[in-house]
Amino acid sequence: MSRAWFSKLSLEQRLALAALMLGGLALFARTDGGNVVRLDVKELAGIVEREEDHVTPLELADWILARRADYRLIDVRSDTEYAEYHIPTAENVPVGSLPDAALLRNETIVLYSDGGIHAYQAWLLLRAKGYRSVYTLRGGLEQWKEDVLFPVFAENASPDEQARIAKLREVSRFFGGKPRSGDEAPAAAIALELPRVDLGAAVGVVPRQGKKKKEGC
Amino acid sequence: MEMTAPFYKYGLFGDEASLLVAFLIGIGFGFFLERAGFGSARKLVAQFYLTDLAVFKVMFTAIVTAMLGVTYLAWMGLLDLSLVYLVPTHWAPQILGGLVLGVGFVVGGYCPGTSVASLATGRLDGLVYALGIGAGTVGFAFLFPLLRGLYYATPAGPLTLPQLLHLPYGVVVFAVVLMALAGFYGASLIEARASRKEG
Repeated sequence: MSRAWFSKLSLEQRLALAALMLGGLALFARTDGGNVVRLDVKELAGIVEREEDHVTPLELADWILARRADYRLIDVRSDTEYAEYHIPTAENVPVGSLPDAALLRNETIVLYSDGGIHAYQAWLLLRAKGYRSVYTLRGGLEQWKEDVLFPVFAENASPDEQARIAKLREVSRFFGGKPRSGDEAPAAAIALELPRVDLGAAVGVVPRQGKKKKEGC
Repeated sequence: MEMTAPFYKYGLFGDEASLLVAFLIGIGFGFFLERAGFGSARKLVAQFYLTDLAVFKVMFTAIVTAMLGVTYLAWMGLLDLSLVYLVPTHWAPQILGGLVLGVGFVVGGYCPGTSVASLATGRLDGLVYALGIGAGTVGFAFLFPLLRGLYYATPAGPLTLPQLLHLPYGVVVFAVVLMALAGFYGASLIEARASRKEG
């Protein structure tokens, strides 16, 4: 019988044979998931429907002001656009270089682009590559300008509203913006005088990885 | 939610719980070291006299077993290899440190793990060795200002064999298996010769 030779082998030889077979099969192993992926379409649709896929500009502004370091803000536009203006603390990873970017799958990542389409495409790419907590900035840079840099406030606001507006004015000034009144030019039109904020003193002192896990042996 | 390892990196448990997990794994490690006879310096140094290569065989078996396990877990998508911590490579200090550890192994009869297993079974030489580790660690800490240059010399970052050799991951796995099997065969020849001499 064909099994006769196997029964003659010692335990060591059988284990060696098993290791050899497993090692041989490992020649074909893909350990990085590869570039061909499977997506749980239903799960993704649910995330989009429940609006769990984005943060709003004001939320992001809060995170930056709170010096949160437990997420990474990624600007997926080109490096020239990034050099022109980017949201403070953002890192530049153009969409094309996303597949090779040094992003870890257990990091919280917030993506943004001009309008948001590139960011949403990048969101899908990262989800497909197994990243769990990826978000986009709702409305992208355009909404960031509308809501954070150059917000419009009603002239005749109630006292309650006034307090909120005062805070938003402060936020706007912190990021180098300027609150507008309703009849001024739309935010998109003031693109050329975008502020250059040097947050080196304000934000740069915070270590990149606030919650860096201790590791090593 | 799908489960993906490393569990710690995905936040399945926190810092405190990870200490407990490490404690349990450490107990298991020590238990099996002792069961394999590695709580005895005589057994350990026998490999240097080429009379008993059990340590070499056990260590290489552990490497192959863990490597194949990790490979297949990653292949099945249960383990994210990019999140597995790699000690950054520093060529000069690590080669030097390896030599120091090897010399200490021959002279003292233990390596750090086995000395603790030996201490746990009440062996005095294990206690002396463990005290030596403690003294060496403290001494290193005091001398660190002098050793800093060497400590950070020749950095190569977190480096894996596939990256270093520019070979696909699977090819390296297969090569290590072949290397281990050749090593086991060589070890059995050496042991057979040693037992002939004795007999």
